[in-house]
Amino acid sequence: MPLRTQSLVRRATPFIGIAAVFAVAAASGASELLAFPLFLIVVISSALFDDRTQLLAVGAAATLAILVLSVIHLGPTSNLATAVFEVAVLAIVAGSIHEVLQHVRAAEGTAERKAVDLETDDARLHMVMEAATIGLGVVTAGGRWLQVNERLAAILGVGRSELTQIGLLDVTSLRDRSAVGDALAELGRGEIVRWESEVQQSGPHGRPIPVSLAIAALSDNSIEPLLLVQVTDISARKRLDAMRDALVAVRQVIVTANSWDQGAAAVLGSLCTHLDWDLAQYWSVDAEKHSLHLRSSWRGDDSNVGDLDDPARNLSIEAGGGLVGRVWQSGIAAALDDLEANDYEQASAERRVGLRAEVAFPVVSGGATIGVIELLGREVRHIENDLITLLSTAGVEIGQFIHRAETAQALLRSEADHRAIYERSPIGIARISGDGELLEANPALLHMLEHDMETMRFQAWPDLLRAYDQAAGRARLAPMLAGITDQRSVQLRAATGGGRWLWLQLTATSIPDTSGRPEHVLVMVEDVTTVRDTQDRLAEALDSQRNANANLETLDRTKTEFLSIVSHEFRTALTGIQGFSELIRDGGLEADEVRSYGGYIFNDADRVNRLITDMLDLDRMESGRMSIRLADVDINEVVSDVVARAASTSAVVVEFKADLDPRLPIVAGDRDRLVQVVSNLVNNAVKYSPDGGNVTLSTRADGGFVLVSVADTGLGIPPDEIGHVFERFRRVRSGAAQSIPGTGLGLTIVKQIVEMHGGKIWVESAVGHGSAFHFTVPLAVEAATPQLRRHA
Amino acid sequence: MVLVADDNEVAQRLCRRVLEKAGYGVLIASDGLQAVDLALAQNPNVILMDVAMPGMDGLEAMRRIKSERPEMRVVIASAHSMASDRERFLAAGADDVLSKPFRLGDLVAVVAKLTAKPSR
Repeated sequence: MPLRTQSLVRRATPFIGIAAVFAVAAASGASELLAFPLFLIVVISSALFDDRTQLLAVGAAATLAILVLSVIHLGPTSNLATAVFEVAVLAIVAGSIHEVLQHVRAAEGTAERKAVDLETDDARLHMVMEAATIGLGVVTAGGRWLQVNERLAAILGVGRSELTQIGLLDVTSLRDRSAVGDALAELGRGEIVRWESEVQQSGPHGRPIPVSLAIAALSDNSIEPLLLVQVTDISARKRLDAMRDALVAVRQVIVTANSWDQGAAAVLGSLCTHLDWDLAQYWSVDAEKHSLHLRSSWRGDDSNVGDLDDPARNLSIEAGGGLVGRVWQSGIAAALDDLEANDYEQASAERRVGLRAEVAFPVVSGGATIGVIELLGREVRHIENDLITLLSTAGVEIGQFIHRAETAQALLRSEADHRAIYERSPIGIARISGDGELLEANPALLHMLEHDMETMRFQAWPDLLRAYDQAAGRARLAPMLAGITDQRSVQLRAATGGGRWLWLQLTATSIPDTSGRPEHVLVMVEDVTTVRDTQDRLAEALDSQRNANANLETLDRTKTEFLSIVSHEFRTALTGIQGFSELIRDGGLEADEVRSYGGYIFNDADRVNRLITDMLDLDRMESGRMSIRLADVDINEVVSDVVARAASTSAVVVEFKADLDPRLPIVAGDRDRLVQVVSNLVNNAVKYSPDGGNVTLSTRADGGFVLVSVADTGLGIPPDEIGHVFERFRRVRSGAAQSIPGTGLGLTIVKQIVEMHGGKIWVESAVGHGSAFHFTVPLAVEAATPQLRRHA
Repeated sequence: MVLVADDNEVAQRLCRRVLEKAGYGVLIASDGLQAVDLALAQNPNVILMDVAMPGMDGLEAMRRIKSERPEMRVVIASAHSMASDRERFLAAGADDVLSKPFRLGDLVAVVAKLTAKPSR
């Protein structure tokens, strides 16, 4: 408000002045010529200090005042002209002054604005410099800092004032110093206007920091050009790059390495070089999972860490021991920025050799920690979480690699094993395609079948395949190529290239491809000839054993049967003997009755006696206790004798016929026994001819023997019994022969006697047509030429 | 009346002599078939049956007779005289068993015993 009042007062002042002059002039009646200078002063001052509106208003007021005064005081014509002139002068003067003032003011304003602008730019520039996130500075071409921002000082870790005492080259690492120096020189000479590079810089005390350095010439006409220096801290980016590079390097190693042992050093080296560590060690968990053992190690060439990294020292760490042990136990990577500050027992050795920082991460495979990698550095450092994360990732990848490599090695080993089995197996192995073509045959198979690969492939194998399918067909098994994955063994007979016959056992197994279709077939071929032979021999032995057992059983059965027969025969005979003798004993019989009963008794007693004689004879012969006394025997005489006796004693009506060779040689024999033989055969012939018929006896010389035949026209022997007639206790019991009495020993005794003489006995028979028994007896030695003897 | 079935002539004569002396009428059969025919035709009170006979044996003959005339008494008189034989014959349906050789008194007693009993 006061300002406004002041302004109003100032604006009103000229009008008050004009009104005052007008009032005085009108009151005094003075000429307007007198008042005119006063008006002029007011207008000029207004023109000098006020704006155009105020000036026009003041001017109008002054003109009105002059015109009124001239009308009041003077004659209208002459005074009016003066007044117009005065007004014109007033207007020209005021306008001129105002115009001049305008110009002056305009010039003044421009200058002022320029001055303000300059000040503002400077401040802004300053602010920009200070606020920049990159380090900015201005240096001379000689590298002397003229100006630096705070950021630059911070990056380099040097105070601002201190920094200005030294030059750009002084904060550049020795490595990059010459390059930067050259750049400054070229920029100074104007040869280039901008230079950029990534260099390492540091203050006199700090760690070298990777920076991006850009130097640009400032367009300045001064003799010594100024250079703008931009310094960007790229350590974060470098760190990430290094971590990425480390991971890439690790991956490269594990991609190219065949085993962890082979790649371990390279992996450890990559981690060290890329991540700037001095020593790396791999500790592996032992088989018992009791402790960690130092397996591989890597150190920088210039690292002097003593024997800390020597795996040969067989260093071990228990679970939970030291950082490495803790990492193993927890399975989580961990770091120690400064070993001095973390006094673990394990760390003492590291500290002794000057190692200060440590990070360790687990190597994980299949969810379990199989080892720990430890990185050690000389310098205390702040270990970021992202590094730990990265190392953990590397640990997983290394673990997977170790697992893969071990699997691959196991596979290689197993493949080698399989190959060895294939090559050295005593069993023949053939690999054949799905359509039966022989792809591969192992040495054993070629050796077994005595073929080379060529004949094996095109000749022997197709034969074998056919034989397999036939044998399989017989055993109701699938053919070899039927695609059945589990086929049973088939045994077949096959000839070798050398013509030997072998028993082969073939077992086919089809190996499916990934889609499950049979890709090829593996055939195991075993030579089971020996086994088969043994089996056959065993079967034979078993058979003969079984037969022997059967014979024994039969013998046993036959003996029991014989006992039954013998006792039956005895008791039948004894029935008559006992019954009739009881009758005679009791008396009261007629004399002819007694005679008749005595005859029955005698006959049956004789029968019992015969039975006993036969049994004893046979027993003597079989036990070898009966010998024959050889002498010259005329068989014809024996035959005639027997026939004569039979004809005289037999009640059965048969007709005896004799067909005796009159020139029959003399034989060597036991006459009584030969009589027994012929007699037995004749009795049989009579017994088994219940309906009568002919009994024909014939003799004939046959080589070194005499052949004797006894043929009847009786019942004959059924075919199923003819093979057993010479066996002990076997009697023909079927049909009409059932009731024919006998001991069942007669023919057995006959056969024994014939064989004791060195002859043979056999029988021909047809049921209903009769039987013919033939036996031979060797000639006497002196009868070898019977014709001579007979003719002599 | 007693039927004696036996293929052995001596046994036939003995039995006939003993049984006739004891007052029985005696019929003789020489084999099983003949025994069956005579048994069915003549209805003897007791049959004295041998086992080992040509053609049809005594057991088969007994079986046939018993199937026609269950009341007919059959004594098996056999020289098969092991212990098991006696059981075998009784199981086959014999009313009594007489082992050969036999005492003449035993023969008469077994026949008397069976003829004294009323027929079933």
